[in-house]
Amino acid sequence: MSEGLIIEHLHVGHGVPPAQRRWAWKRRESGRGPEPASTPLLSGVDLTVAPGEFVALVGASGSGKTMTALSVLGLLPPHVHIEAGSIRLGGTDLTRAGEAELNRVRGGRVGMLYQQPKRVLNPRRTVRSHLLEPLALHAGLRGKAAEERALELLSGAGFPDPASCADAYPHQLSGGMAQRAMMALALAGRPELLLADEPTSALDPVLERQVLDLIDRQRREHGLGVLYITHNLATVAAYADRVAVMRAGRIEESGPATAVLNAPQTDCTRTLREAAALTPDAKPRRAVDHEASAAVVLDRATKRFPGRGRDARPALDEVSLEVRDGEILGILGQSGSGKSTLARLVVGLETADAGRVARAGDGAAAPSRTPGRDVQLVFQEPHDSFDPRMRLRTSLEAPLLTRGGTPAARRKRIHQAVKEVDLDPTILDRYPSQCSGGQLQRLAIARALLLEPSVLICDEATSALDAVTQRTVLDLLRRLHESRRLTLILISHDLSVIRYMSHRVAVLHRGELVELADTADFFARPRHEHSRQLVAAALPPACAILEDQRLSQPNVALNH
Amino acid sequence: MRGFLARRTAALGVTVLLASFVVFLIPYVTPGDPVRKIIRSQVQGELVDESAVQGLTAELGLDDPLPVQYVRWLSHFVSGDMGLSYTSRTPVIEHVMPALWITLSLTVVTLAVAAIAATALGTLAALREGRLTDRVITALTQALIAMPEYWLAPVLVLVFALNLSVLPSAGWSGPSSMVLPVAVLAIRPLSHFTSAVREGMLDALGGEHVLAARARGLSHSQTVFRHVIPNGLLPLTTLTGVWFAGLLGGSVIVEVIFAIPGMGRLLYDAVLNSDIPLAQGGVVFVVVLAVVLTTAGDLLHAVLNPKMRNSHA
Repeated sequence: MSEGLIIEHLHVGHGVPPAQRRWAWKRRESGRGPEPASTPLLSGVDLTVAPGEFVALVGASGSGKTMTALSVLGLLPPHVHIEAGSIRLGGTDLTRAGEAELNRVRGGRVGMLYQQPKRVLNPRRTVRSHLLEPLALHAGLRGKAAEERALELLSGAGFPDPASCADAYPHQLSGGMAQRAMMALALAGRPELLLADEPTSALDPVLERQVLDLIDRQRREHGLGVLYITHNLATVAAYADRVAVMRAGRIEESGPATAVLNAPQTDCTRTLREAAALTPDAKPRRAVDHEASAAVVLDRATKRFPGRGRDARPALDEVSLEVRDGEILGILGQSGSGKSTLARLVVGLETADAGRVARAGDGAAAPSRTPGRDVQLVFQEPHDSFDPRMRLRTSLEAPLLTRGGTPAARRKRIHQAVKEVDLDPTILDRYPSQCSGGQLQRLAIARALLLEPSVLICDEATSALDAVTQRTVLDLLRRLHESRRLTLILISHDLSVIRYMSHRVAVLHRGELVELADTADFFARPRHEHSRQLVAAALPPACAILEDQRLSQPNVALNH
Repeated sequence: MRGFLARRTAALGVTVLLASFVVFLIPYVTPGDPVRKIIRSQVQGELVDESAVQGLTAELGLDDPLPVQYVRWLSHFVSGDMGLSYTSRTPVIEHVMPALWITLSLTVVTLAVAAIAATALGTLAALREGRLTDRVITALTQALIAMPEYWLAPVLVLVFALNLSVLPSAGWSGPSSMVLPVAVLAIRPLSHFTSAVREGMLDALGGEHVLAARARGLSHSQTVFRHVIPNGLLPLTTLTGVWFAGLLGGSVIVEVIFAIPGMGRLLYDAVLNSDIPLAQGGVVFVVVLAVVLTTAGDLLHAVLNPKMRNSHA
């Protein structure tokens, strides 16, 4: 444990491995095609993480952040190879290490955290069974000793009742619990380095703080080096000692976090900074007419899902809410608070068990089963909201087919809609897998707009996107709001997004509407205790911190 | 889970009852009056005495309403009285039980062979996806599924029994007589299982939890044995149940070709001889077993899948 992680001039490429390339001359002579080459994925990455240091690696998606982490573990995808350069960890050259040596490093000297903790746990094994693996492999613990250590790790990760967590299967854990269980798992081999690949992107602010504080405590108490991959500059500003900015497989800029964020030297960093600067008054929004009629009314709407076991708490409990025409309403809440249920009720995908849900188009009709055309929904995962086997044109045409019209007219409508979300219509001939997340999310919005809705609900529509893409999608939504008088309901766990976008904020907590206030009021004086927790846990936007000073002790007392 | 169990058991009961009713109706929908058939099988000559017909009809309760007859038939059936075979004049149950036993052992061995071989082949194919091994295995299973039993069975008999004389060509006497029928019967489930196992393994291999297991320091083979194979085999449980049911009733061709006195053979003969009680008894047994086994496969799948085990739905 002397020098930490040192990556020097790392080149990684996709294609034929270097070892097989010496036969290239033979291929040429025999006329079997051109010299096999490889497409570069990482081109000369230099990066160090000293023991006890928190290094942030930021950049847009696809810039090579995850690839860098996977090269450290020697777990690159098939056909991806290290071409040149070295990766050293405390004196061991990992690029030359054999498989046995690497298996001691993986999970032993290097722990890893992931963005989707529930996907990286084996669905058929308990948390305990997972924990026993690294304990046996790296700590040599078996039987009772391993069992005790497993529970100790879980309680260290903040589980008040570690035994019940150990018995749980992944699907029984919430996102936050799963990430803390992953943390216990990553620390089981007493690593000297932690690779954290966006571990908090999917978590609400309270849970994000819990996980970050856990990592930070390990760093301070045990000298754990942390390589933290993120696109969230607020995290960087609050926790990182140093930051490296990646773009297209290169480190564009690196240095002390404050220096890089305060005085960015490259365009790439500046773009990231601007995108992250979701300051509330960046652009004026169209004022809401307070006399405006209601676009959506929920009157004591209650939804209960059958058979959800012991606690018969409804998913949505007597929520009364009025969304005004032309308003942007932000809905905040932790995972499981009923945000998505509310969205599904408003769209008409679910019907309320009690109470009333009315949309402007319905008249005074009772809650109907037919999904309202007037309200459209955009989901979180753009790749999941398109049929992977259909061309995008076909996917976009589907909602129009029921409305008649000639194929030519439909084609024109679709092209208009695609242009409205700033895309070129040629993209319509692609399949979803050939598009980026940002492009698909725009297309999802275009598809929703084809039916001329008056209300658009975005259920975490930008949470899966990187900061730059998120910003462009948010600005697109704002523009549509202006030009089309579109009423927006934004569901998010990201307070800065809600603050940037909405006129009013509604907070859901355990199925109940606990607060509804104007955005400025809400962030200045959150009234409900749960709102105060959310606002307190949220990291201040990167720019705000830097203008004051870096948090020296980023621990804020969290009561959960 | 308890609700799931209750629902599946109820569905099982309903299916069995419906099937038994259909079986009960067989003599009423087949041409000819069953009473005349019975009398004709007992007396010589063409002429049937009308008073005898009426007497027997009353005696057998055939003038009662259909539901009453059904309940009576069912209660007899459940108590083990399935009537006498028309052809041999002995109780049906004495024919059905040994035949069922033979078919059951044939089916169990067939499925065990198919499942074990498919696990090996499917896993191998998935681990070598896109390479020669995978392509050979995939091509082979596709080719095998295209070989009909009535063609494959005679070919195997020609080669192994007649030319090489290493295996008996027909009959039911000891393990060696099982080899050829099992080989023929196992072909289709083997192909089906192999592609299912291959898909299941590829699914499991592509899971992020496999990468995460490697990142915890498990070697490639440890990962495969702990995290890929158990997950990839899950689809096999349901599939085995379905094939079990299919083979019980579908072994007719093989049993007839190899002269095995099993269930398929029994039903085949019963139908050819218009031996209605024997056919009824055989079909009901096959149906009950098939439904029970399919349900058992589903339940096993549920038990092995923690998501279903813990759900309250």
